[in-house]
Amino acid sequence: MRIWAIALNTFKETIRNRILINILLFAIGLILLSMIVGDWSLNEQAKIIKDFGLSAMSIFGLLIAIFIGIRLMVQELEQRTIYIIASKPIHRWEIVSGKYLGLAITLAINVLLMSGALWGAGWIMESRIDFGLVPAIILIYVEILLIVGFALFFSTFMSPTLSALMTLIVFVAGHLIGVLREYVQMFPDKSFNWLFKAIYTIFPNLEYLNLKMAVVEHLSRSPHAVIFGLLYGIGYILIIHLFTIWIFQKKDFK
Amino acid sequence: MTEFAIRTEGLTKIYTEITRGGLKRRVTVGLEDLNLEVNNGEVFAFLGPNAAGKTTTIKLLTRLHYPTRGEAWILGRSNAKRETMRQVGYLPEQPRLYDYLTGKEFLDFIGRIFGLNRQDRNKKIIHLLKMVGLQGRADESIRGYSRGMVQRLGLAQALLNDPMLLILDEPMSNLDPLGRKDFRDLILELKKQGKTIFFSSHILSDAEMVADRIGILKEGRLVSTGTMADLVGSQVTGVDITFHAGEEDIKKIQNIFKEAVVQGQEIMLTLENASIVPEFLRRIEHWGGQIISVIPHRKTLEELFMSELGR
Repeated sequence: MRIWAIALNTFKETIRNRILINILLFAIGLILLSMIVGDWSLNEQAKIIKDFGLSAMSIFGLLIAIFIGIRLMVQELEQRTIYIIASKPIHRWEIVSGKYLGLAITLAINVLLMSGALWGAGWIMESRIDFGLVPAIILIYVEILLIVGFALFFSTFMSPTLSALMTLIVFVAGHLIGVLREYVQMFPDKSFNWLFKAIYTIFPNLEYLNLKMAVVEHLSRSPHAVIFGLLYGIGYILIIHLFTIWIFQKKDFK
Repeated sequence: MTEFAIRTEGLTKIYTEITRGGLKRRVTVGLEDLNLEVNNGEVFAFLGPNAAGKTTTIKLLTRLHYPTRGEAWILGRSNAKRETMRQVGYLPEQPRLYDYLTGKEFLDFIGRIFGLNRQDRNKKIIHLLKMVGLQGRADESIRGYSRGMVQRLGLAQALLNDPMLLILDEPMSNLDPLGRKDFRDLILELKKQGKTIFFSSHILSDAEMVADRIGILKEGRLVSTGTMADLVGSQVTGVDITFHAGEEDIKKIQNIFKEAVVQGQEIMLTLENASIVPEFLRRIEHWGGQIISVIPHRKTLEELFMSELGR
C-alpha cells in the first residue's frame, strides 16, 4: 500500500532526526525534574507533577509539531526529493496522508514515552499509577495531531519561519478562544471585535481538548466532554488535512 | 503498442510570480507550444542552453508541473493519469535522495511505492545495485555518498519498475569521464532491450554519441528536431585540401585563396563549395602539384547547436 510506504519512510525520517530525540529527552527529563519541584510543596507533590507533566507533554508536542512537522514538508520540497516520489504512480493525496500517518505514529510513541515518564514519576511519589490521566493524555495527543496538521498545511505554501509563526498563533489563539468569546460578549462595541470573532470562528478551540485541570483535580467530568473533544479534534484534523491535500494537489514542484 | 513513447500537443507552461509583496506580477514563458513526438525504442536527446525549457518539459511530462495549455501522452496514454507513470522511470537533474536512508533502504522504499512484493524487491535491488556499481556500498547511509554515487542510485530507482520509457534530466552532468562512458554504455544497453530513452543534456558530445534523434530548444520553443543524419550527418560544409606545389604556383594560389596556409612547399586550403573539388584537384595535378590529403568536413552537432541558437 502506497500510503503505508510513505508513512513508514516518514517514520524512519522522524525517528532518525536528532532534533526529535533531543526534544523528547528534554521533555522526559523535565517531567522527572518536576519531582523536585513537587517536593517543595506540602501534600501537593503528586498533583504538581501531573499538572506539570501534562503541560510539558502539550508544550513539547507543539515544539515537535513545529520542528519536525514543518521541516518534514519543507525539506521534501526544498531538497526536491519530492520529484522522485511525485513522479511515481502515486496520488498526491497519498503522499500527504502517508506523511501525516508516519508523523502520527512517531508522535504516538513520543506521547507514550512522555506518559511513561509521568507515570514513573507518579509511581515514585504515590506508589501507584494514575490511569485517570488517560483521557487527558488521549486529548493531548489529538491536540498535537491537530497542531501538526496545521504545521503541514502551512508548510505546503509558506516559508518555514512563517509556517512556524502561524502554527504558534493557532496554538495560542486556540487556547484563548474562550477568553476572546467572553471579551466580545462583555464589550460588544469594541472596534477589534471583528478580529476576535474571526479568530474564534476559524481557529479550533483547543480548550475542548484540555482536560489537564479536570484529571489533576479529580473533578467530575461528563464522558460526553471527552467524546465531544475527541470528535471535535478529529473533525478539525480531517478538515485541515483536506485543505493541505487541496493545496498540495494544485502545486507545481519548483 | 502505440507508435510514440512521448507525444505532446501545444504543451505550454507560463509561470506567474508575484513579487515585491504582491505589488508586481512577473510572467515567464517556460515552454511555448511544444509539439514533440518521440518514437518507441529510440534514444532522444533534448538539447538547449540553460533556461531553454528542458527541465520544464520534463516536469510537465512527469506531472511535477501542470501545463498552462496543451496535452502530453506517454506510451499512448494521457500523462494526467497516474497509472501511466507505472511504465516510466525518471531521474531528476542533480537528484537529492533521502539521505537518512541507506542505498538499499531507499530502493526498497521505491519498490514499495510500485507495490512490488518483498521477494521481487530484493531480487531487483540486488540486480540494480550491481548494474550501477553500488553493490558494496548498499548498506551505507546516502549521506556519505558522493554526487556520482547519488546519480547512480538515482538511476537504479528509475529502473526499479523495469520501465518502457526512461526520462533522464541531465543524467551525465554529475559524472566523471569514466562514469559518463559507463552511463552511455548503459543507455545503449537499455535501448537494445527495447526501451525508449529521453534525456536532456547540455553536453553535446554525449548526445552525439548515443542519440538517434535530437531536439533543440531555445527560449521555450523547439527550434529543430530530427535524426543526427538529417541535421548534421549528410551536409558537407567544406573540404580541406593539402598539397605540395612549386613556389610560383604557391604565389598564384595565394593570390586567389587569401586564407591558404603555407608551410614550406606544403599548402593547405579549405573549399567551402564541395562541388568544385574535382575540378580543383585536376588543376593541381595539371600544375604538377602533389595532393597529400582531401578531408571533407561535416557540420558538427556543436555547429548546428550554435547556428540554431543564433550565435
